[in-house]
Amino acid sequence: MDLAFNIKKSYGEFRIDVSLSLNEDLLVLFGPSGAGKTLILKMISGIVRPDEGSVTIGSEKVFDSASGIETPIRDRKIGYLFQDYALFPHMTVFENIAYGVNAKQGGRDAKVRELIALTRLTGLESRYPRELSGGQKQRCALARTLASEPRVLLLDEPFSALDYQVREKLRADLLRIHDAYPITTILVTHDLEEAFMLGRRIAVVNNGRIEQAGLREDVFYRPATRDVARFIGTRNIFTGTVAGLGDGQVVITNADLGVIKAFVPEGSGLHIGAEVSFCIRPEEILVIRPDKVLDSRVQDNIIEGEIISATGKGSTQSLFLKVGSGDTLLKVELPNFVVRKLSLAIGRVIRVSLKRENIWVINR
Amino acid sequence: MDLFPLYLTIKVSFAATVFTVAFGLVIAWVMAKREFFGKAVLDIVIMQPLVIPPTVLGYYLLGAFGRSSFLGRFLEDAFGLQIVFTWKGAVIASFISSLPLFVKPARAALEGVGSELEDAARLLGKTELQVIKDITLPLAWRGIAAGAVMAFARATGEFGATLMVAGNIPGLTQTLPIAIYDAVQAGDAHSANILVGVITLFSFIVLYIAGRFTKGRF
Repeated sequence: MDLAFNIKKSYGEFRIDVSLSLNEDLLVLFGPSGAGKTLILKMISGIVRPDEGSVTIGSEKVFDSASGIETPIRDRKIGYLFQDYALFPHMTVFENIAYGVNAKQGGRDAKVRELIALTRLTGLESRYPRELSGGQKQRCALARTLASEPRVLLLDEPFSALDYQVREKLRADLLRIHDAYPITTILVTHDLEEAFMLGRRIAVVNNGRIEQAGLREDVFYRPATRDVARFIGTRNIFTGTVAGLGDGQVVITNADLGVIKAFVPEGSGLHIGAEVSFCIRPEEILVIRPDKVLDSRVQDNIIEGEIISATGKGSTQSLFLKVGSGDTLLKVELPNFVVRKLSLAIGRVIRVSLKRENIWVINR
Repeated sequence: MDLFPLYLTIKVSFAATVFTVAFGLVIAWVMAKREFFGKAVLDIVIMQPLVIPPTVLGYYLLGAFGRSSFLGRFLEDAFGLQIVFTWKGAVIASFISSLPLFVKPARAALEGVGSELEDAARLLGKTELQVIKDITLPLAWRGIAAGAVMAFARATGEFGATLMVAGNIPGLTQTLPIAIYDAVQAGDAHSANILVGVITLFSFIVLYIAGRFTKGRF
């Protein structure tokens, strides 16, 4: 079922103004805490009333401030998974899920059992929520929501209260369940990894607005604004001045990095002298072996810097290079074996290459 | 020894508690779940009987239900209902003075059922009535029950307002606390001791039961 909304609400200084439409897919609403993500879900579901705008599910308007339509929550057929699950404490797992099944439908018990199997809760039917682990609670809440046969599924930070290992498994579960029940789904998260893993489409929310919405690859590799670049974990964001343009390329000068060449799409609206931001993901920076003789193809964007810190994160290491005379730091992420092989230790001066095709220029 | 005051007290207290729970539940629900203009004032009005002297409360009730009042005349003309100086007056006095003792814990219990749980039920397609029946009341009933027990206890001990509205007519409107007062005035220490003993024991049991409810032992 298609879902489209265009809603506004003010809380004093804080304003939410978002519009988006999606179809039978999973969209991740990603953004920092306090960006208004949960409120957007609450307005779509009817828990919170927007000041103005409209919410459309399929061809039915469930909210429209212009024509005064406001369908009660119970008639919207929206599934909502609360951040802390909101399981009914006085009902067992079975009763919680059964409460979601519409009483008019036959075969209630069979349906509950099917959902219990789907969400791996078999054997826990007669337990109360307080006797469940975090992951079990989450799956029970999801089963209860699915039991009501929602047209749209809204998931509010479904994994935030869980351990790291449990999270991994439950994300896979969620994708499996979404395949079994392909319902239009919005998942809210502030976890970058989760956004990347779950969302084929991602909308980045900041300060009550959608900064960018699109396919995962577009958002992650081609951020539209500096803020988006920051939220999606791009650590190397620099500013510079456009010194040259032509042939789909741009030359940018930056005090510490020197002259940087990058590709830009046609019609980017850049002009010589303009201030621009540009960024490169830490994992896409290449380290040049000290003994290597450079051929002309990689001679662009060669940067020399001193390693001032190195921190391990599982299978990779993050190195920070101090570049130029200012306080510019370049973050480089490398697999551990590369760090070992090249003996990249703090204090060493190394050269890295920022390949043109890996640099993304933000004209805002 | 005349057991009529004990019988009347139980009858009046039961009747008053029925009113208290019926009206009090609606008031507690509205106070817990709705925002409206004048909510703070309504809260103060309901809590008044806790702090104003019972005689003042009785005076108000006399004014409201007496024959010279509109309400009193209307009840008598339309239903033949006499409130003042009858046991029904005692019921109303007990009802009003025990209302805050019920509303306070009942409201807290209803507020304790988070709006998220109620919203979760609404999202599953449940009507407001179903939400109250299936979610709110089952989760709040302990607090409500404790409040009802407290209200009943308060009703059995009602003295001042009852005396003002229902009077002290032996065999007709004389409740236990008033009978104790009468016995002491008349120098009947024997009767007073027995009645005092009964009411003390009763209050003890009631507080014990209310405590069990709130601690979840039922």
